[in-house]
Amino acid sequence: MLARVTGFENRRDAPVALLGHSGASRSTVSTRAGSLALEIVAGLNDWKINTMTMPPKIASVASTKYDEHPDSSSRELFVEAAIDAFAETDLGPSDLDAVYVGNFMGDLIEDQGHMGALLADHVGAREAASIRIESACASGGATFRQAVHAVESGAADAVLAGGVEQMSIANIEHVTDALANAADDVYENEQGLTFPGIYALMARRYMHEFGARKEDLAAVSVKNHNNAVENPLAQFQKKLTVDDVLTSKPIATPLVLYDACPVSDGASVVIVVSEAFAAEHSLDTSARVLGTGQSSDAVALQDRATITRTPAAERAAEEAYDEADTAPEDIDVVEVHDCFTIAEILALEALGFYDRGEGTRGAVDGETALDGKLPVNTSGGLLGKGHPVGVTGIGQIVELTKQIDGRHPNQVEGVNAALAHNVGGSGASTTVTILGGE
Amino acid sequence: MPKWFDSFTDTIGSDEQQYLACETCGHGTLPPRQLCPACGSTDLTREPLSKRGKVLSFTEISVTIPKFHGETPYTVALVELDEEITLTGQLRDATADDIAIGDAVVLGTEPRDAGTAVLTFRPAEE
Repeated sequence: MLARVTGFENRRDAPVALLGHSGASRSTVSTRAGSLALEIVAGLNDWKINTMTMPPKIASVASTKYDEHPDSSSRELFVEAAIDAFAETDLGPSDLDAVYVGNFMGDLIEDQGHMGALLADHVGAREAASIRIESACASGGATFRQAVHAVESGAADAVLAGGVEQMSIANIEHVTDALANAADDVYENEQGLTFPGIYALMARRYMHEFGARKEDLAAVSVKNHNNAVENPLAQFQKKLTVDDVLTSKPIATPLVLYDACPVSDGASVVIVVSEAFAAEHSLDTSARVLGTGQSSDAVALQDRATITRTPAAERAAEEAYDEADTAPEDIDVVEVHDCFTIAEILALEALGFYDRGEGTRGAVDGETALDGKLPVNTSGGLLGKGHPVGVTGIGQIVELTKQIDGRHPNQVEGVNAALAHNVGGSGASTTVTILGGE
Repeated sequence: MPKWFDSFTDTIGSDEQQYLACETCGHGTLPPRQLCPACGSTDLTREPLSKRGKVLSFTEISVTIPKFHGETPYTVALVELDEEITLTGQLRDATADDIAIGDAVVLGTEPRDAGTAVLTFRPAEE
């Protein structure tokens, strides 16, 4: 372990009074993108503390194709991605202090729990600290954030944050049942409400309050499927028209099949390292973590004050923007959690890109298209790229790291800051991550 | 089903519906909470709940979970009762084509397997 602060274990141990004495405010210390290093000189002893505020770096990213892989398994998919992540660097399993695994339904579909230790073993890091992190479909985003915190705190220098999911081996009713675990079992599932049904309730209310049409929702699906065509990791490589979407079969009115993401298998891996570790190794990316945020809300839709806003996303975004010292207008490319078309619209409003009730403009007016002013879901999103549920938050970091590096199949020009938004349930768990370059 | 939910649906069936009102801040919530989600107070008292409410949103479900296999299509409604308590239940005596957001409905229950019940809503008489 490399100490990040001379004289103190980490910045949280640095006495506040001391910081105040130097004239540095708490907000300066916690603003990582602003002052990258802060020196505090205090007292007669010339007691010098180099408070290490360099944001964690991403060493490498890798992902399997998101698809139905019925002949594979979680352990095979995860290791396939991990080997690819190691291949582009001089890093190996023995460098890992920890392996964090985002996984939602291993015990529900594969009858396999304890994914942390199992997959740490399979990637060759049997002795590393390991945990599985589950926050429904935000498992990936939560896993990445815990890896960032482990490195930031000085507790670890290199953490493999991965996600894995094997869903296609179960039939659609079984998968729908497993997904329903993200909802309130008694007040929602036992009343016959399904997961698509929950988003359908939000969509119908949104359409009622703001005059949105089914065509406006469909435009999100058309855009994201269009983006997926050029992404070799995407499950769907086929363009859709608004008419294709509107004439697909209903699943939970007003939502139809192409308003929903597919069932997907896959794994994605991101290796998060400290600045000191990065200086001693060859890394494959130039991306660093500028800020993260996370918040929760009532799991049951019926317990929320409104169903046409996602307050947990608003809070997570505010936290991430503050930590990164950025604002919505600084963001060049975005990956949002479009498990259903309505979810992308609500996300764009929660993240501060559109006023409430105006999020449909993004796709309808082409503002969030690849050549628009704010490209959203250049990967194809969950709708086009696929949604191996506990993996998605990690996969978003993989995609945005490529955008930062300038090597994405749908490259946006001049990316300095990129934002990921990952949701569990119908909004009860949300993470927001902001990445930047060198 | 947990016993607390069976107790809750039993009170609906016997016209003694109860919700939990916070003595500290007035926020209304549902069993089996022990803390007010709005203010954290543990001072919750049981209050009668009316059966009438208005439709906040609804959806006709075509793809469902194994428990409701063979029952599609059916409609689930999110309904705000007069006490600002919102509940989720299945629509009866009407289809999704017959109702609209804002319509008045009445809360009830319907027995299912193993003595448990599902919450239901029927269009209110004029």
